[in-house]
Amino acid sequence: MDVTGILDEHKSRFKTIQVDRLIPAELDLGLLACFDVNMIDESKLRANQKTRDSYLRELSREGAQLMVNELFSLPTTVDEDSVYATLPKVRTVLPREKPAPKEKPMTRWEKFAKIKNIQNKKKSRVVYDEEQGEWRPRFGFKGVNNDDQKPWLIEVPGNADPYEDQYQARREEKKERIDKNKRRQQRNFEESVATEKGMKPRDMRKRELQQALVLSKGSTASMGKFDEKLAGEPKVKGLKRKFDPLVKNADKEKSNNMEILNRVAKGESKATVLNVRKAQRAINSAKRSKK
Amino acid sequence: MRPLTDDETKVFFEKLTKYIGRNIVHLIDRPDEPYCFRLQKDRVYYVSESIMRKTTAIGRQNLISLGVCFGKFTKTGKFRMHITALPSLAQYAKYKVWVKPNGEMPFLYGNHVVKAHIGRVTEDMPEHQGVVIFNMADVPLGFGVSARSTVDMRKVDPTGIAVFHQSDNGEYLREEDALF
Repeated sequence: MDVTGILDEHKSRFKTIQVDRLIPAELDLGLLACFDVNMIDESKLRANQKTRDSYLRELSREGAQLMVNELFSLPTTVDEDSVYATLPKVRTVLPREKPAPKEKPMTRWEKFAKIKNIQNKKKSRVVYDEEQGEWRPRFGFKGVNNDDQKPWLIEVPGNADPYEDQYQARREEKKERIDKNKRRQQRNFEESVATEKGMKPRDMRKRELQQALVLSKGSTASMGKFDEKLAGEPKVKGLKRKFDPLVKNADKEKSNNMEILNRVAKGESKATVLNVRKAQRAINSAKRSKK
Repeated sequence: MRPLTDDETKVFFEKLTKYIGRNIVHLIDRPDEPYCFRLQKDRVYYVSESIMRKTTAIGRQNLISLGVCFGKFTKTGKFRMHITALPSLAQYAKYKVWVKPNGEMPFLYGNHVVKAHIGRVTEDMPEHQGVVIFNMADVPLGFGVSARSTVDMRKVDPTGIAVFHQSDNGEYLREEDALF
């Protein structure tokens, strides 16, 4: 039995999976994308709509066919009910969604270290506590700089007041150190804000201070009318009202007034589009006259 | 003295339209001589351009009045009509109420107009609309706001208020020192 005829007929119903391209199309299977850099036939694109549509449809079909061909050559894993192909990693580099982060302005210490060429020396996180005979963190929970493991005896320094509480002095000293560091952090933050705005930190602080001063001076019952003037107090410039000149072109004034009148009249007409009572009366009188 | 700003003009015109509607056009656009509105110490004056030009020589402190005073802006930015605007209002009024001779004096003493005193009313006058009040000899006496529409007025008893008093000619005597 000759089945070639039937086979040919069957084959002709489907399009070929063979796609020829002058330059092979680039595929990124991770994204399920196909990039075809071949020339497009312009004569077909400029032809009538039918030709153009069929041409474009054919192009996209061939691209998809190329991708599907490649997909079937991927390694597969077989599950109970289906076959899975493992997609390779994405090769195309996509731009990031958010802008690149800005470089943070340097803190005072960083600036100083740069000038003096001080390198950051890595310190170990834990230190050996000889008294306890164990390794403890340098700071933080159960750290060596905490007061929870304070010495049971502190020697009074030679120049100190013998009745002073040395434990209190220790606590106070630490508190002072923390406060000082906090102040410096705040200063670094303010300076970074100023430099980001393109101002000198000093100028920015001055301006903020002046604004606060103006605000506080106007906060009395008399809006600061009877306050004593400070030396170098900033002069507040209010908003100046501006009026049209007293004598101006009469025609211009007239047209301006007409314009405003039209606007006012429009609002009025909107309010009384239909005088219901008047309409009702008209209807009623018409009925009466009929009788 | 200065021209009105756009906002002020709007507030002013909105009040004025309650009495004379679109007839403001005749005030702005006069065939005889250009007229304008000017503000001096919160008061709005309706004055001819030539007089206004002459008044520019007088300082703000010294200028007491010019042209016709239409009313004044309150401190809250609203506008109040004055009795001095009556001739212009009477000329172009949309809604008019004529009072009988026995109702003239009560109105001129600053009372509301009761229904019993009404001689004639303009047709289809709505409620709460600015009206000008005349006596039967067509002399304008003052202005006010309608308390009832023309239709509803028929149902009111004779002592019911028909028009709320706003301003009357008696103010020339009663408010003599405050008016100007």
